[in-house]
Amino acid sequence: MANETQTQNVSVNNFEQCLKCSICTVYCPVSAVSPEYPGPKQAGPDAERYRLKNKEFFDDALKMCLNCKRCEVACPNDVHIGDIIQAARIKYNTHRPKLRDMMLANTDFVGTMASPFAAIANPILKLKPMKAVLHGVMAIDKHRTFPDYSSRKFESWFKKNAASEQEKFNKHVSYFHGCYVNYNYPQLGMDFVKVMNAVGYGVHLLEKEKCCGVALIANGMPKQAKRQGEVNMTSMRKAIAKGHQVLTTSSTCTFTMRDEYDHLLGIDNHDVRDSISLATRFLFQLIEKGEIKLAFREDYHKRVAYHSACHMERMGWAPYSTRLLRMIPDIDFVMLESQCCGISGTYGFKKENYERSQAIGKGLFDQIKEVTPDCVATDCETCKWQIEMSTGTPVMNPISIIAEALDVETTRKLNKLD
Amino acid sequence: MKFDIIIIGGGLSGLTAGIALAEAGKDVALVSAGQSSLHFGSGSLDLLGCDEKGNDIYNPLDAIKEVNSKHPYNKLENVSSLAGMAKQLLERAGIATTGNATSNHWRITPIGGLMPTWLSMEGMATVEDPNQMPWRKVALVNIVNYLDFPTKFLAAGLRDKGVEVDIKAVTLPELQELRKSPTEMRATNIAKVIGNNDLTAKLADQVNSVAGEDYDMVLLPAVLGMTNDKNSKHLLELIKTPAQFVATLPPSVPGVRMQTMLRRRFTALGGTFFTGDQVTEGLFEDNILKGVKTAKLDGTTLESDNFILATGSFMSRGLRADYNHVYETALGVDVDDLGLDRKTWAKIDVTDAQPYMEMGVKTDENLRCMRNGTTISNLYAAGSILSGHNSIKRLDAGGVDMLTALQAANNIIK
Ligand code: SF4
Ligand code: SF4
Repeated sequence: MANETQTQNVSVNNFEQCLKCSICTVYCPVSAVSPEYPGPKQAGPDAERYRLKNKEFFDDALKMCLNCKRCEVACPNDVHIGDIIQAARIKYNTHRPKLRDMMLANTDFVGTMASPFAAIANPILKLKPMKAVLHGVMAIDKHRTFPDYSSRKFESWFKKNAASEQEKFNKHVSYFHGCYVNYNYPQLGMDFVKVMNAVGYGVHLLEKEKCCGVALIANGMPKQAKRQGEVNMTSMRKAIAKGHQVLTTSSTCTFTMRDEYDHLLGIDNHDVRDSISLATRFLFQLIEKGEIKLAFREDYHKRVAYHSACHMERMGWAPYSTRLLRMIPDIDFVMLESQCCGISGTYGFKKENYERSQAIGKGLFDQIKEVTPDCVATDCETCKWQIEMSTGTPVMNPISIIAEALDVETTRKLNKLD
Repeated sequence: MKFDIIIIGGGLSGLTAGIALAEAGKDVALVSAGQSSLHFGSGSLDLLGCDEKGNDIYNPLDAIKEVNSKHPYNKLENVSSLAGMAKQLLERAGIATTGNATSNHWRITPIGGLMPTWLSMEGMATVEDPNQMPWRKVALVNIVNYLDFPTKFLAAGLRDKGVEVDIKAVTLPELQELRKSPTEMRATNIAKVIGNNDLTAKLADQVNSVAGEDYDMVLLPAVLGMTNDKNSKHLLELIKTPAQFVATLPPSVPGVRMQTMLRRRFTALGGTFFTGDQVTEGLFEDNILKGVKTAKLDGTTLESDNFILATGSFMSRGLRADYNHVYETALGVDVDDLGLDRKTWAKIDVTDAQPYMEMGVKTDENLRCMRNGTTISNLYAAGSILSGHNSIKRLDAGGVDMLTALQAANNIIK
């Protein structure tokens, strides 16, 4: 009897496991720079007790949480603090999102609108008067530069230049490219295709791909996020039925679809989750099993500093990317201390958050300036904007570094493609 | 994923072993489930502070010869040389300490007691002899509204020892901002605010204005320098009177600094850190551990030639108890429950020495773990998960953590 009582005492998101040690507070990037924020322990497990009694205890300050999950990574008792906070926002927040937040959240809609006009949109978004309008009317901070919209979407490039060759391969994967690759930086998608093809994998797009929804969750639009998530799950099920793994080149998309769908949005993804992986992890695992080989150019040297993005840290997968990068023979590899860069997706774009966002990232920027790498490597696209803007150091996805360093011909031979 | 050595547990013990092995050129991985108990640290490490009766020990190296036969210190080849190695390892990580293994010194606890200890981080307030306080008149300078530094207790403790004490308080506008969320005015947030806004010099001015030269010591809460000792050192230099830090209630800034600097050293040596992940299963073949599975790396096995289990005791969840058993959580290795009847695990008076504290994993003379009674030839245990000691009663936590870790590393390298 006693044993049963004990083992059945399970609390949602483990909130009863909290022993009030305050370790989470030490690692919350917000609580030090924003004293008005109650901090993870207080906003999470502590206040949850009150909220369970009465929803009036919901505190608007919770929207200051970046959902970086660094508190969860630090907690010695596996309390899902970030989940508790985000779930409370979804459950109790009654405010409708502002127009600005809706725009920032709908990365794919805005991308669709901007891409055809990239030649016009990019310079306009950079003009001082336009920035002033964004700053004043839309409350998008004037210091920010919008990531350029690419004039050609990744999907269009793929269909025109790559799709037809993919059937030639014996093995296949599906690629969830995400909004960033599609609208802002198709080069990363091209690099991914280059690497996968070189090791004998054909790449395919999903039947239908929607934004993973991370920005919708952050900006208070969980219903739309859920709808989009369901579309992604349906497409992925079809790909998985064909025997494909679904790969991404973004740690945040991966984390959202594997973990947040289920934990926050109530999307049933249990049959899909294990088949969603990050490209670096997929490659590393195949290399380790001896199923593929990579050969690198002998003349490739680079000093690379790796930054563990928050959601990469939460997934615990950084070693896949770093050990993959360290396979490049002449790479001078430096591991940066894991800290939040402050951008947290769309958060740092908002006028009210700009200074906070820069203050949070300061430790990381100082570190990068000290290390003076040729480039920073990270698996997250929004970290790229933030770090490039704040340090001037170029930032690359590990897949792009692999693609750059790869000796394609030798790799193809090693994988018996020629 | 394959490594030379995998260490389970990222606290003082795991990091010590990890650094020692990485310094020896090994490819080391460390799997850590959340942050460690260093966050409750005092800025000092104990080797052996009290004898069986609870009296202070002056020479820990001598006293170690008398520990009972179950104590993990019996499995160390040369305590004196390991203790020296531990101090040097800290130093190479940038953590300068005072103290040595042949004579304890005394640190000041946050509530005004004096505790015997082995190594103290530089800048922490210590005394050489608890019966002879080195100060005549002390200024105890707190930060306004900071509650984790109970000045009245501290003052009372020091006055008991014949020291004259004045309590003072200083503040800066940036620090008072922290009070907006009363629960968040913690040592580590104060350290971040001081660091982010370069407030060290301003804080020193404030301290100098309330604690003039008629004091022979200024004591301050240890709230500077979470990631390095730059600000804490600088503050002490800028204060005109001799000044030192006293540990606060947790979270502890010196503890976080120690953790951060050890981890930095480990990573700089090429070590791989698996953060916030948990070992869920050991893959045993005969009496060998082949690999471990973790909660987050599904589909990947972490493999290596040797393993060290350094997950800590009950508080760090290396050990757990249900109503009838005590068990080891990561790999299910054998636990020595001292053969105690369930009813005698704990004493009613919480301040009594608790018998369960001496429970821990069983190891052979080489610190190797056992499973179902058989020794696992490549799995070592280190730190507070070891059976046979009570770190609260004997004040031996730092020594057990670091010295058994170094011994396990030596046993592996041999
Ligand atoms: S770190 Fe975990 S256990 Fe500690 S206070 Fe935060 S939620 Fe609670
Ligand atoms: S998720 Fe990040 S910002 Fe939110 S409480 Fe946790 S550590 Fe702080």
